[in-house]
Amino acid sequence: MSAQVTKEPHFLSTSKTHPGAWWLAGLALALSASLSSNIFVLLGISVSAMLTVRLCRDDAPWSRSIGFYLQLGLIVVAMRVLFRIIFNLSDASSAVFLRFPGISLELGFGNSIHLLGPISYLSLHSALVDGCRLAAIILSVGMANSLANPRKLLRATPGALYEVATAISIAINLAPQLIASLKLVRRARGLRGHSKGIKSLTGIVIPVLEDTIEQSMQLAASMSARGFGRKGNRTKEQLAIARVFTSLTLILLTVGVAMLLFSAGQQIIDLAVILAGLICAGVTFKVSSTKSSRTKYIQQRWQLADGILLSISGTVLFLAFTGVFS
Amino acid sequence: MIEIRNLSFSYLNADGKQKSEDPQLSRVNLKIAQGEFVLVCGPTGSGKSTFLKTLNGLAPSFTGGLISGELLINGVDLLGSEPHEFSHLVGYVNQQPEGAFVADLVLDEIVYSAEQLAVSKEQITLDIERLSKLLDLEDLLQRPLATLSGGQQQRVAIAAALISGAKILLLDEPTSALDLQGATEVLNILQKLAKTEGVTILLAEHRISRVIGAVDSVIVVHGDGSVTKGKPEDQFNDARFAPPIIELGQKLNWSPLAITSKDARELWQKAPAQFSYREVSKAGELVLETRNLEVSFGTLAAVQSTSLKLYGNQITALMGENGSGKTSLCWAVQGSGLRTTGDVITKSGDPQKLSIAERLGVLTMVPQRASDLLFLHSLADELHESDDFAEVPAGTTAALFQKLAGRIDTAIHPRDLSAGQQLALVLSIQLVKNAPILILDEPTRGLDYAAKRALAKQLNTLRTADRSVLLATHDIEFVAMIADRVLVLKDGSIVQDMSPLDALGADKELASQISEITDQPGLITIEQVIA
Repeated sequence: MSAQVTKEPHFLSTSKTHPGAWWLAGLALALSASLSSNIFVLLGISVSAMLTVRLCRDDAPWSRSIGFYLQLGLIVVAMRVLFRIIFNLSDASSAVFLRFPGISLELGFGNSIHLLGPISYLSLHSALVDGCRLAAIILSVGMANSLANPRKLLRATPGALYEVATAISIAINLAPQLIASLKLVRRARGLRGHSKGIKSLTGIVIPVLEDTIEQSMQLAASMSARGFGRKGNRTKEQLAIARVFTSLTLILLTVGVAMLLFSAGQQIIDLAVILAGLICAGVTFKVSSTKSSRTKYIQQRWQLADGILLSISGTVLFLAFTGVFS
Repeated sequence: MIEIRNLSFSYLNADGKQKSEDPQLSRVNLKIAQGEFVLVCGPTGSGKSTFLKTLNGLAPSFTGGLISGELLINGVDLLGSEPHEFSHLVGYVNQQPEGAFVADLVLDEIVYSAEQLAVSKEQITLDIERLSKLLDLEDLLQRPLATLSGGQQQRVAIAAALISGAKILLLDEPTSALDLQGATEVLNILQKLAKTEGVTILLAEHRISRVIGAVDSVIVVHGDGSVTKGKPEDQFNDARFAPPIIELGQKLNWSPLAITSKDARELWQKAPAQFSYREVSKAGELVLETRNLEVSFGTLAAVQSTSLKLYGNQITALMGENGSGKTSLCWAVQGSGLRTTGDVITKSGDPQKLSIAERLGVLTMVPQRASDLLFLHSLADELHESDDFAEVPAGTTAALFQKLAGRIDTAIHPRDLSAGQQLALVLSIQLVKNAPILILDEPTRGLDYAAKRALAKQLNTLRTADRSVLLATHDIEFVAMIADRVLVLKDGSIVQDMSPLDALGADKELASQISEITDQPGLITIEQVIA
């Protein structure tokens, strides 16, 4: 290797921060975005996610993937608006923004479907907000995916949630790998020349999927060959209890968050479900760590930078909950 | 100690139920003693990898398939156990360490297995000290894995495999992606482990000539299900994978065959044979020229102000250590890779400025991972698509493919072809496009000697048809066989441009094995020797 200059990483750079901090921050931003319907807040979240990646990323292959998430976000916004214009929900009470020639389809049951036709300012705006919200969520998760080092995350998973956490880490690892492999395969495809029609799409998709799955399998094989998944000195009962509580934790947390996001109703119930999930997580930790079956030789510690990161994203989330952003 | 009794292994048929009719391993019986250093070889696609993987449960756990028989390790039958139940007994290292790494830092990577096995912290500290001294990793422990050379990465992978306390080490072509220096580094370490640490080593390896002098025995996986074990000098009757040193001995009827370079040199000096002149074809017209070509990735300059000239009727080998810029140069010349500054000049213009279709009229390229170019569901579809695309009569690609790879059932999925067959397929697809320039990036990776000879023959045909071939490779013996000109790339610049007769001669850094043995100026490849 010639002429390689190594920069001293700055304190928020991915090599110094805990990967978990990036995921918590990303999820906090995504949650905030989902609670907001103010287009400026949503744009603010999207822009700050992208700026954070720009400022904090290093030269790792997965840190180049934010452009892909931006493209995905823009497509989502465009699709939302386009669909609203085509499948028009006519809304007579509000001011008309654009006037297209319309078609009404009588299906013989239910309401008729209106295609195109006059579209109101309000309707277009709400489509734009919906699109931006999804885009902001995509970019927040994209930020975490670009900045959290997947291998470090794999190491930092708590012993108690080991099996599940590892499965999740490997799944997270897939997206950056897909993007990296997409670039390689697209370049290689150019060598063969582009054939017509749908074939060129399969020409990209098949090698990319194959490559990504093969890499994940190779990682899994390597982990297994090096002792991952050994029962250690835990009894069968302990393993079973840990598994039941791990599953309960995951189900309760997922359902709780989903309820919080999609129901307009009682936030108290949603929070209670999440709390129950957290209690189950506590039990899992307790059961699994009574007899350690793994050594933690090197521990990834939480640093000041992680604290700052979490307090910023925590504040954003708190503001979103109190309704400042809506 | 490993004892294998009646071991059979076969993959499942496509329907997932029935056992495939030709088993990979069929009723294999052998014993491997504690501390034995064993070379595992066999022709391309014969099942060397599968054989190694059955010894730590990766086959069938991660490959699918049916296994039967007995696999005794230290007297306990472990057949059918999951790989993690072998991890304290058997360590495993594969071709591409970067794909198998679970961490980013050297130290984190090495301790992973010990952590999984709940080894105490004190013991881990002691083991790291011992292994890092043994494998010369002391200064690297805090380095990110991505910044290490290939040879260093493989040493880390070996340390990571041994920290569990395993006394058996399986290595699946650990040097195939490494340059000469990296390969030597790894093979020296293995000899040391076998000799001083009593580690039992099973090494599947294509660079047979570099290790054959050091191993105790050779296991041959024949490809018909049979596996045999014996002394190195008795195991190479099959010319498909016999290394040059054995081939030389067979050609000159040496008895017993020489295994080490030292013995071969003595035997040669006693009775040197006649040899023919190695022809180097005259350069045709200039077909491609680069001027001040530079490629930089961020702060890293991969190719620096390079002036490369390619001529018709000539095969140009591009050699150099890993990271010297061979692949970057190939892609920049091809036109779709990154280029920072400089020009590439051909008769039809700069490839970078041409459309994909126009570019294919000037040059075609086969990249390192040839399989990236395959995407259809059967060999027949791929061949058909290729004929259509190149607008050549139906069957043209198939005929070329058959010449390179032999007759193969065209219903097979391209992913199920061996590495050599995939390369032959991609090469055929690119060759029917009939471009005047062909670029090959590491085409001989994973090929046995027979497959290499078929490839060399095809490249010869191209040369005769006045084409120009650029061949980026580590493979000295292949260059000795075929190249007309050798360029050596170092830190992104061409530092040498000479005839292979000089570049690969005895006492040179890139000396071929035949030059080393015979020390005859002008004699670099086995083909020249007259029996």
